[in-house]
Amino acid sequence: MENLLHLFEGFSILFTFQNIIVTMFGAVLGLLVGAMPGIGSLAGVALLLPLTFKFNPTTAIIMLGALYYANMYGGAFSSILIGIPGDGPAVMTMMDGYPMATQRNRPGQALLTSNLSSFIGGFIGMVILTFMGPLLADIGLKFGPAEMTALLLVAMTSIGWLVGENPTKGVLLTMFGILLASMGMDTLSGYPRYDFGNIYLLGGIPFVPFVIGMVGFSQVMRLMSERHKETKISVDKLSIKDSMITLHDFKRLFFPAIRSGFLGTFVGVLPGAGATTAAFMGYAVQKSFKSEEPMGSGAIEGIAACEAANNGAAAGAFAPLLALGIPGSGTGAVLLGGLMMWGLNPGPLLFTNSPEFAWGLIASLFLANVITLMIAWGVIPFLVKILSVPTRLMIPVITVICIVGSYSTSNSMYGVLIMFISGVLGYILNRTGYSTAPAVLSFVLAPLLESNMRKAFIISQGSLGIFFEKPISLVFMLILLVILLFPAGRLVLTKLGVLKGKKN
Amino acid sequence: MKKVFLLAIVLFVAAIVPVFAQGEAETGSEGFVPSKDIEWFVTSSPGGGSDIYTRMIADIMTRKDLVNGQTFLVTNKTDGGGEVGRLQVSRVKGGNIADHTLLTFNSGDHAPMVKNTANRIENFTPIAVMAVDKQLLYIGEYSKYASFAEFLDAIAAGQNFVIAGSKGDDIATYELLVEELGITQNQISFITNDATSDAITSVLGGHVDLVMSKPAAADQYVVAGKLTPILALSETRFTGNLASAPTLSEVGPYDNVENPIWRGVVAPKSMSAEAADFWSNAFKAVSESEEWQNEYINKYKLLSEFKGREEASAFMQKFQEKTLAALGK
Repeated sequence: MENLLHLFEGFSILFTFQNIIVTMFGAVLGLLVGAMPGIGSLAGVALLLPLTFKFNPTTAIIMLGALYYANMYGGAFSSILIGIPGDGPAVMTMMDGYPMATQRNRPGQALLTSNLSSFIGGFIGMVILTFMGPLLADIGLKFGPAEMTALLLVAMTSIGWLVGENPTKGVLLTMFGILLASMGMDTLSGYPRYDFGNIYLLGGIPFVPFVIGMVGFSQVMRLMSERHKETKISVDKLSIKDSMITLHDFKRLFFPAIRSGFLGTFVGVLPGAGATTAAFMGYAVQKSFKSEEPMGSGAIEGIAACEAANNGAAAGAFAPLLALGIPGSGTGAVLLGGLMMWGLNPGPLLFTNSPEFAWGLIASLFLANVITLMIAWGVIPFLVKILSVPTRLMIPVITVICIVGSYSTSNSMYGVLIMFISGVLGYILNRTGYSTAPAVLSFVLAPLLESNMRKAFIISQGSLGIFFEKPISLVFMLILLVILLFPAGRLVLTKLGVLKGKKN
Repeated sequence: MKKVFLLAIVLFVAAIVPVFAQGEAETGSEGFVPSKDIEWFVTSSPGGGSDIYTRMIADIMTRKDLVNGQTFLVTNKTDGGGEVGRLQVSRVKGGNIADHTLLTFNSGDHAPMVKNTANRIENFTPIAVMAVDKQLLYIGEYSKYASFAEFLDAIAAGQNFVIAGSKGDDIATYELLVEELGITQNQISFITNDATSDAITSVLGGHVDLVMSKPAAADQYVVAGKLTPILALSETRFTGNLASAPTLSEVGPYDNVENPIWRGVVAPKSMSAEAADFWSNAFKAVSESEEWQNEYINKYKLLSEFKGREEASAFMQKFQEKTLAALGK
């Protein structure tokens, strides 16, 4: 109850003219930044940070918080409409969002699904943050290297849901993703790995250009071969009313969004795992549930699962940041830098020393969630028009977006080169029947898994026992074991006639 | 038609006057004065320690009007673990651009550069060293041992411990410590984290025994009682709430371990001597300013230690020789 009072105090701080204006400004900017491929929340917050030094800290963090948060909405736009993820977390949204917009011809509904699920996921995350913020942060602390390793191993098995029809190809690409991720400086020893004497490769393959190329630019190349086909999408559906989803659609998105909202919030709290990981896990978990249409073919459940998860994670990430001064992601780290520059000391005393700041921020997330939903909803009819642009005009436009996005991650042509190479690679892989999703997922998870596993082994002096001695990691290891043995067990049971072999 | 012609002349004059004015400014005053935007490279991400340091100096220089009203363009160039940015700056050709290019350069940049590439301090013009930072070892609130001496006793009894820390400088300090204690890297092992905040997270969660940190990153946790300093990796004790931590020589029959982490600035090798002098003086003015003392040094608990051009050059040269020797190169 006490927390609720604090939250109301937060709202009373928030509801000044100036603060509401900056929340709206942050939300609009976040949507834009998120929608632009390559320029994610990290770049957005970093670019805006210097502007905020003249503000008072509460106003500044409210604006950046709104920006960060709205960014999770915006990322889905380009994923759904042009098949290029606006940022990392939106990669999975593309899997179902793009087919739903283009093949199922329901772009407005796809966008609305993503907005509503974002809203639900974010709302869940914020409520949890409000009532259990510090507790949540403590739970996050319990996840040391051993626990994270066990959790990530479970997460890695979820790649199994993504491999598509041909498991061999899926496994091959998973390995390929891991291999690519291992390039660059070894984070534990500082030694260069697979750099081939090239100074750029010392830093490894940058994630954003890799993803833009793999899933985005490869689409552009596919479009090139289809450029003479006329777009089949009818664009008379331009009103907000026409992009409304049916009650049945809403029922389909509601439960996946709720589930993913909780999952995403939890993942967001964990050290090192951000919104991207949350979206991947949300999608993978959804795969194990029933969906009305197959996932990957434009299923509402797929969009809902990952959008709710990444917004939940965005809210969840504020728990360790505010309660302990620990950034859960790159963006969190920039926000933390901001806190210091505004003269606040982030850390365990923030809630006690600057409650108006902490609660003002949490309250602003609620407001940003509502404002962003309204704005995002309102612009759907205009955004959908993008789809009516002829393919031959879209190709150069999307190419430019891809180039700008991959350039902006490190301000260099290296990113652009990586984007082109992985684009060509992605195109070839798609043409030869390989799904690129496993490679992208393992590229995200492998570095986390590696560093946590090696840290765990340093702590245990090389003993495997560390994964089974602590309760949390033991539970995850058991889950892992069940997941691994389940197919074999089912086979045996079916053979023995215990099961009828009709599962799934 | 006449009007158009007149307008063209006016526009032409308007366009040309600033050019001359600028030329005059350059030749009119003695030595070098910035005449265009200054590009300042930082080889780590926005929001981190180096970035804050850079933006703070740029801000003070602008506020104190030290750069002839020109603007700083801070560029975060993180490719190749920062090596790309450093190489790029070292290769800037002479002339006006070189005179307007700066690079944030710390011991944490210098050591990996020497280790992983052929780039050396000789390819730069050292401008200044601004501040020095040192580390301490801390324990978390659930630690079984209350002092570093107790840890040493436990090690003698066959226990092993883990220190969590950040990259670069922390590893070097850890190696010095292990060497001075005369124990193996298995008895006290080290976990490298991407940032000190990650290291602190792991000690708060009780996953490791000790954490190495500079005062700034651990400050709030010390105030909140979540971390306790138990060893100052310094020749003398720290002050304030860190004063309780003894130096190594107070703990036992050892020499003190100190590995000062410095924060400096360099420029392309091709920067003109006049420009280098100008920048060195500008940094000196920042270092002497009240803003610098209050908003940076005191706030982040660093030691202000200004070294001008020549001194910085000799200092970085010596640091490089020491690093190379340690690497066996």
